[in-house]
Amino acid sequence: MADGETSEAVSGAAAEAALAYLTEMSPDLRGAAILDGAGAVLAASGEPGRWREDAAALFAVADRAGGGPVEQVHIGTQQGEVFALRHAGLAALAVTERFALASLTFFDLRSLLRDLATDKPLRTFDVSGDVKSPKRRGADDGA
Amino acid sequence: MAPKPHRVLLDRVSGYADEAAAYMRRRRASRRPFARLYFAEGRAEDHAADTEAGGELFVAAGRLIEVAGKRPKA
Repeated sequence: MADGETSEAVSGAAAEAALAYLTEMSPDLRGAAILDGAGAVLAASGEPGRWREDAAALFAVADRAGGGPVEQVHIGTQQGEVFALRHAGLAALAVTERFALASLTFFDLRSLLRDLATDKPLRTFDVSGDVKSPKRRGADDGA
Repeated sequence: MAPKPHRVLLDRVSGYADEAAAYMRRRRASRRPFARLYFAEGRAEDHAADTEAGGELFVAAGRLIEVAGKRPKA
């Protein structure tokens, strides 16, 4: 992995839940996958075998083109956009419609991987509580 | 002194034409395929499609787009 960090073993269930949440949140997302440090698919929105092969091919080509391990890859084509990110010993790939917001997509992918690596899946995306309620605000303030 | 009516009309048409041309330029620029690599130290690289590395990146991306398929309609 590019960042050299090693993540604890991430459960497939946690990765599946994170991916489902990402898919639900991102209207432009067509498909995505989360891979571990060895390139094995933890969760994918299609055929895991093909995601593993094609993700490995993309990172290999990107590393070769860049002359070293890349952290992020963003490729825009007429057919769609591809985002790939390595973080915390994990990797995430997302394919979106054209003109998806790149910074937002990378932010979501990075947050997802960081939460998975720290064994706190969906912490960033947790909106289960009513964030506007006075009770919640008071709790956040430590009151 | 007020400008002659035909001058006003010409200025307006020129304005609209300039806007349209700028829109088309932006649209062309944003529709051009690109491949960008970002590194941990903050460096970024652009690879054009007509280079060997760029071509390989676009092929790899094309495969991923194929795997992802179309977004299912809600």
